[in-house]
Amino acid sequence: MSTDLNATGLGATDLSTTELGTTDLSPTDLNATGLGTTDLGTTDLGTTDLGATDLGATDLGATDLGATDLGATASARVPRPEQRATDPAAAEGPAVDVARASDRGARIAAVAIALVWHVAIGLPALLGAWPTLAAPTVVAAGWLAACAIGGYAAHRLLHGLLPPALPLAAALLVVDAAVFAAAGREQLFAAANWAWTGLAWFFVVVLWSRRIRWMIVLLAGHAVIALAALVGDGATAPADLTRYAMYVYGTSSLPVAVFTGAAVIATLARERADTATATFAVRAERDAAERAWADRRARLALVGGAAEQVLAELADGRADPTDPLVQRRCVLAATRLRRLIAESDDVPDPLLHELRAAADLAERNGLPIELIAIGTPPPLPVEIRRRLADPLAAALADATGWARLTVVANPQEVVISLVTPDVDGPAAVDAPADPVGEQVEHVLERDGEIRWTQTRWRRP
Amino acid sequence: MASAMSGEAPIGVSIVDDHPVVIDGVRAWLTTEPRLRVLATGDDPDLVLRAAPEADVILLDLRLHGRMMLDKLAELSAAGRRVVVYSEHTDPATMLAVLDAGATAFLAKHEGREHCVATVLAAASDRPYVPPALAGAMVGDPRPDRPALSDKEREALLLWFQSMSKASVARRMQISEHTVKQYVDRARIKYTRAGRPAATKAALLARAIEDGLVRPEEIGIYRSQASYDRPTP
Repeated sequence: MSTDLNATGLGATDLSTTELGTTDLSPTDLNATGLGTTDLGTTDLGTTDLGATDLGATDLGATDLGATDLGATASARVPRPEQRATDPAAAEGPAVDVARASDRGARIAAVAIALVWHVAIGLPALLGAWPTLAAPTVVAAGWLAACAIGGYAAHRLLHGLLPPALPLAAALLVVDAAVFAAAGREQLFAAANWAWTGLAWFFVVVLWSRRIRWMIVLLAGHAVIALAALVGDGATAPADLTRYAMYVYGTSSLPVAVFTGAAVIATLARERADTATATFAVRAERDAAERAWADRRARLALVGGAAEQVLAELADGRADPTDPLVQRRCVLAATRLRRLIAESDDVPDPLLHELRAAADLAERNGLPIELIAIGTPPPLPVEIRRRLADPLAAALADATGWARLTVVANPQEVVISLVTPDVDGPAAVDAPADPVGEQVEHVLERDGEIRWTQTRWRRP
Repeated sequence: MASAMSGEAPIGVSIVDDHPVVIDGVRAWLTTEPRLRVLATGDDPDLVLRAAPEADVILLDLRLHGRMMLDKLAELSAAGRRVVVYSEHTDPATMLAVLDAGATAFLAKHEGREHCVATVLAAASDRPYVPPALAGAMVGDPRPDRPALSDKEREALLLWFQSMSKASVARRMQISEHTVKQYVDRARIKYTRAGRPAATKAALLARAIEDGLVRPEEIGIYRSQASYDRPTP
């Protein structure tokens, strides 16, 4: 018979109208701690609608709550990885952290190539060919300017920032043109014209993380400047033009390859990190759901056992249905079952979680309590949540007889209400100290019939 | 269909449920009200209907033998049968689906005798009755195309759902109990717009206009639906 236990049977016989004592008759110690120990509230994973319609009370055997496949539904709503930022350094999140780590290696490599080339190859050639340059001071000034630009860009890159691409690229082109003009025909193709070979690496540095097309544009500008220098110096013989083509090809291909490679690696790293984040999220949500499910199952076993015991005693004639104590046990068992059935969320919302914990506590003291939640509360700051839930928890502690706790929530508003019979007792019903606190309204009323505590949050 | 409230004629009620204990319990509740008479009971809506075609109100358990009876409900409602659905399935989505399908009222099984009798009496005269559980579902309706309720209607529904005491709601809103009921009932009448048209919805609406609960000009939007709804002869 245990599986035939249903809340309707208990409800239909209307046992709830009897006078309620205050003795704790709870035959089993209702476990209120299961959810409490695993603070699911802090994972903030959102909730999945479990489609609660099938947890029918009539079907609620001691085993049937497990029939819904929480694991499968948990993956239905997974927080998507954050929108990918253009600048990985400016965004937040674990995916971006991974991407940033792998990007940093590439940044160091690019900066090292540019500066080492500039100092180890450009500088000796410049100094060695000093007398033969057309305007050596201009070439040297260009070298220093490139050094400064590259140094600034490298500083930004290594501190996780992106250099301002447009001004630096423009400055580099100016340096490029000046050096080409000042090199003179004799040194045009020589290493002393350091801009030919070394400057493309600076392009890589200043354009870091930008689109490849800007790299192409910059290299094209570089090629045009070089061609203009050739024409200006009259080096237009076929041999010169061939050399020119070779130089353009040779000096562009490697930086382009490095630039593209870095971009591809960064993208792959980001994608991998996104996947990892999504997987973690699914796993965390599933774990939380499984914990909630296991906990619910455990409580069902307890509650079901208590109900079974009452029913068995009634059936055997050991318990008298007219006995107020027996009636109260029935009411308690029915209320608990109904409350379990009403829990339709697989990862409890933090606010509902707190309220349920308070309800469980009151129930352990033998108070039949109905908890109905409609809608899902939006994510709320802890302070707001506390102001919403605390007055209810306090009122619940004073409640006698029965209690009805309701939550109506939508993204704009959350209203929580506790109604209990208004019996004479300690007039602990102090008017709220701060009835309209910041964003949370707290109303308390007793009218001889009911005690009514209500808190209400409205989106400002 | 016999007129429900004419003179002394009792109101005929049929009960459809697959649990004999529930049928007995509900029958016991209804017999406390002299105006009500249980005409037929059973676990098959068609058989019960055949046994007592003259029943004014059908109390229908939403879940019979493990199946949700929403389609059957829509069929009965379209045919003008006043169906009061009662169920332990009190999740808001189910309750709203029941209203959409054309049920005259929804009652949660645990809501007890008073609500049950009041709901059946109201249903028999095509008047709305909103028990607290249904009020909760309406006030929390998340659907984008939900009926637009006024602030007062919404507040009355919310407080009624929370407190289950119209007297307390009246005190809180500083209006009369009668006005509280009007706000709640008007909200319910607005729900005759939702979902497919059904003869029962048209009947609720017509009676609401007759009673002055809503004015025809307030609900110009409903009228076309009401005329469309009228059962074809």
